Amino acid sequence: MVLIQAGSYRPLFRSEKEPKTIDVAAFYLDARPVTNGEFFEFVRAKPQWQRSQVKRLFADKAYLQRWAGDLALPAPADESAQQPAVFVSWFAAKAYCAWKGRRLPSTVEWERAAGAGFTVADGSKDTEFTGAILRWYSTPSSEKLPHAGSGRPNFFGARDLHGLIWEWTGDFNSVLVSGEARGDTDLDRGLFCGAGALGARDTGNFPAFMRFGMRSSLRAGYTIHNLGFRAAKDL
Amino acid sequence: MKTCLAQRRKDAKHAAAISNLECRKSGASRHHGFQIRLRVARLAGIALCAFAALRDTHADDTPPCCRKALDAGKPTDKSLYLLESKWTSDVGKTIPLSVLRGRPQIIAMFFTHCEYACPILVEELKNIERKLPPEVLAKVDFLLVSMDTKRDTPAELAAFRGKRDLARGRWTLLRGEADDVRELAALLGINYAEDSRGQFAHTNMITLLNAEGEIAFQLTGLKQEPASLLVAIEKAARAAQR
Repeated sequence: MVLIQAGSYRPLFRSEKEPKTIDVAAFYLDARPVTNGEFFEFVRAKPQWQRSQVKRLFADKAYLQRWAGDLALPAPADESAQQPAVFVSWFAAKAYCAWKGRRLPSTVEWERAAGAGFTVADGSKDTEFTGAILRWYSTPSSEKLPHAGSGRPNFFGARDLHGLIWEWTGDFNSVLVSGEARGDTDLDRGLFCGAGALGARDTGNFPAFMRFGMRSSLRAGYTIHNLGFRAAKDL
Repeated sequence: MKTCLAQRRKDAKHAAAISNLECRKSGASRHHGFQIRLRVARLAGIALCAFAALRDTHADDTPPCCRKALDAGKPTDKSLYLLESKWTSDVGKTIPLSVLRGRPQIIAMFFTHCEYACPILVEELKNIERKLPPEVLAKVDFLLVSMDTKRDTPAELAAFRGKRDLARGRWTLLRGEADDVRELAALLGINYAEDSRGQFAHTNMITLLNAEGEIAFQLTGLKQEPASLLVAIEKAARAAQR
């Protein structure tokens, strides 16, 4: 795990009355997403999370769909063991973290870590970094995922926060935009309590809009081919 | 009302007998004693009558959270009663959600300090309660779960119940730990976030769980036409075990 120093995060969606930044306490974050190999150890220890055992309430039908069996990694196993675990639901990700004595990072923590550039803590000032992110968001995800941890480390030493997969956060369901108006500020007051108070701040941050749109479209039981997770821990 | 009056007369006699005893013990004058007797009798009668009236409208006054858990084997794969999290009700009892098994639950998430939508949401639930025929109403419960883990103590929830006049035998008000609230919200598909003033922005949604704890119907948004929800509730009530 790497240390994410205490700092502040500029939330994308905030009402006029809200402070411009949120203080984030220091925490530890996995340097890379959890791999299939690591997830394999988890399902071996906790059979209720094996593909044929998982309750439908906690993961949809596609859960671990590329695995060859309950205790068989996707082929070729020596390759897939290094790849990030995907097709995992929020519940499964949460259970993995709890099993490790860890937790999922909050959205604010994740965004704080992911906001760092390659060489500076504030990634928005690192043009090489912002360019690299935009390139990833404009490229369709490849069928064959690279190894977890193969990306360039950021300022904190964390890799692959961008450029590999989307990642679950502990409070992914704290995004308040409706399905029909993802990334939009024109919200239906009837759908959300306090909805009229929310508006986008940093409209130039396209990747952040993408992430918020992605999170707002998720349900906790969803499993997707390019959605994984990494764990966090308090100091 | 007739039985209530008869009961009141009987209670008055009983209370008079008690206060008589007290007077003799304290050695108060006969006249003074009579005054006290009358007052005690009147108060006791009124209190008991009010209680009886309450009992008339709810055949069983036991809060849903205090009923004996139904022994019905393992919950189904889609049942919310698979959750092991513990919750505290406004009557101070700590329970897993699975004690609610057996009767359909009409659920909303809210917080008592809400300034905008929650009062409307709770009023909509009460509207549904008013619209359901008695035989259906006798087989369903209402469940409010707070997302304000800091301020909504059992006492706050109890005060809210009193203020909104939520029937004790039918409504459950719960608070839980932050992680458990987040998880339940995730299962119901409710998004929420707290702002710096302690107000929560949240999805307004009414969820119907069938007697087994599976999501049977959801109504999203305020001021929706509840007809389809009412039909779903009646269907779920017919299949309920208790």
